[in-house]
Amino acid sequence: MNRSPVALLVLTLAPALLGLAIFRAYPIGLALYESLYTTIAGERTFVGLENYVGLLTDSGFWKSLRVTLWFNLIINPLQVALALALALMFVQKLPGMAVFRLLFLIPIGISLPVAVIIWRIVLLPEGFLNGALGAIGLGPYRFLTSPDFALYSIIAIATWKGISYWMIFLVGGLQNIPPEINEAARLEGASAWQRLWLVTLPLLRPTLLFVLVADITINFLLFAPVFMLTGGGPRGSTNVLMYEAYKSGFVFGDMGRAMAIVVCLVAMLLVIVAIQFRLLSSAPAKEAR
Amino acid sequence: MSPALRKLLIYGAMAVAAFVFVLPLWWAIASSFRPNDAMFADLFPFTPRALLPEPFTVEAYVAIFERGFGAIIANTLLVAGLTTALGLVVNALAGYAFALFEFPGKSAVLGIVVVSFMLPFEAIAMPLYSVVSQLGWIDHVAALVVPSVANGLAVFLFYQFFQQVPKDYYEAARLEGAGWLRILWSVYVPLSLPTCISAGLMLFIFQWEAFLWPLLAMPAQQFKVIQVGMAAFQDQYTTAWNQLFGAAVITALIPMLLLIPLQRYYVQGLAGSGIKG
Repeated sequence: MNRSPVALLVLTLAPALLGLAIFRAYPIGLALYESLYTTIAGERTFVGLENYVGLLTDSGFWKSLRVTLWFNLIINPLQVALALALALMFVQKLPGMAVFRLLFLIPIGISLPVAVIIWRIVLLPEGFLNGALGAIGLGPYRFLTSPDFALYSIIAIATWKGISYWMIFLVGGLQNIPPEINEAARLEGASAWQRLWLVTLPLLRPTLLFVLVADITINFLLFAPVFMLTGGGPRGSTNVLMYEAYKSGFVFGDMGRAMAIVVCLVAMLLVIVAIQFRLLSSAPAKEAR
Repeated sequence: MSPALRKLLIYGAMAVAAFVFVLPLWWAIASSFRPNDAMFADLFPFTPRALLPEPFTVEAYVAIFERGFGAIIANTLLVAGLTTALGLVVNALAGYAFALFEFPGKSAVLGIVVVSFMLPFEAIAMPLYSVVSQLGWIDHVAALVVPSVANGLAVFLFYQFFQQVPKDYYEAARLEGAGWLRILWSVYVPLSLPTCISAGLMLFIFQWEAFLWPLLAMPAQQFKVIQVGMAAFQDQYTTAWNQLFGAAVITALIPMLLLIPLQRYYVQGLAGSGIKG
């Protein structure tokens, strides 16, 4: 082979890097660019920051932002805590674990739209959950059509589908903690609870942070359940920003506003990712990686 | 706490979790084998018979396929299969380059690749629509396949694995006069089979589960992939509950058939990326 390393490098790297540049990086630039334009009757005009200024005074945007933040404030800690509980169970060495491990992994094979369809029917006023609750004298509840319940139903569905996925990362982190450390703590007389708080969780910190941030990223951009279940309603109670942007761009044809919302969303996410890298690099438990 | 009590508590918690995961699925599967007018039978008042497929019928599945669900499955297998095949080649090549060659700016480029997979597809789906329409690919299969081929996580998985292969293998093969492509194919690829399976599964599942992007990129809905097809089905046949369940069961079944035998690789691939991430 007489090919020079440069040709070689280009040949091996170009397909992947070009793909990432065109279909990942360029769209971000394009979103920025298009958010500075407005389309009226097919005519595109430059409006500068008007789309962003418009958002600031747009009560619909603020309401949607509030829904998004409230949704994330609940769903992310909930998912990480439940995923951690699942992971701690997953790594137990007890008879019959193989069956439980398989059952815990089931929701990974189920896509969010599938979970949504199944849960939609489970949550109907005449559905399975209301039937089961009726047996103990509760309900029926309008889980998906009442503004008091709809957002929490979406949180429940996304959590049901999501936690197994996050569990996998935490299981990986748990398995990287040398068993001798826990064993030593046990011999020192630390209870299981103390070992969890004083040994396992500090050593798991980098993985927990990774999962938390990756989870926030996914949930900030959650779309399918809102699209399929509620269309943002009832009374805007589930109208997250991602759905607001979709409606702007693809229902009302206002791409400028849609892109401005997407840019705001991605900017918020970048801040979160930046915080993650800061926290990760200052993590004291680096050895556990 | 005595060890026996502790064990009991753990089993109890695991049983609750397993129950919550399995019960809605079980009801969906059982009910997909019921006639539509018996869907909500045995619920008010609630009896455990609600969890049995009685009276048993496969009419829901027959109806789904009569309504063209077979073509939707074939479409999705085509998109996911193409993406997986192309993605393995493209991302393995890049991982190989990052692992074996030194070049200026390497760590910066690698860093960008890693960051790119932390930004989910949803974040760029709407601007990507503009990119793909500039390319004239709206409503073409290429719109679904090409943007998903290059994948930062897959590059990273291959990079991570190839980096662990002792450099001696490469040097020895070089001395025997093998070209870099031969070395990749006959030394590195056979070693990295588990990574290939991890990355391949990831690419496949990603496409199988894609929803927002196919919804935007294929507005004519002539070529429907499975998640969008299912959602459209939901809008069209609002109260054909048993068929909706049947469609959901089939949509979940196909990735399960891959994941159950290969779960080890999938889990290792994901867990590895998280720890190093």
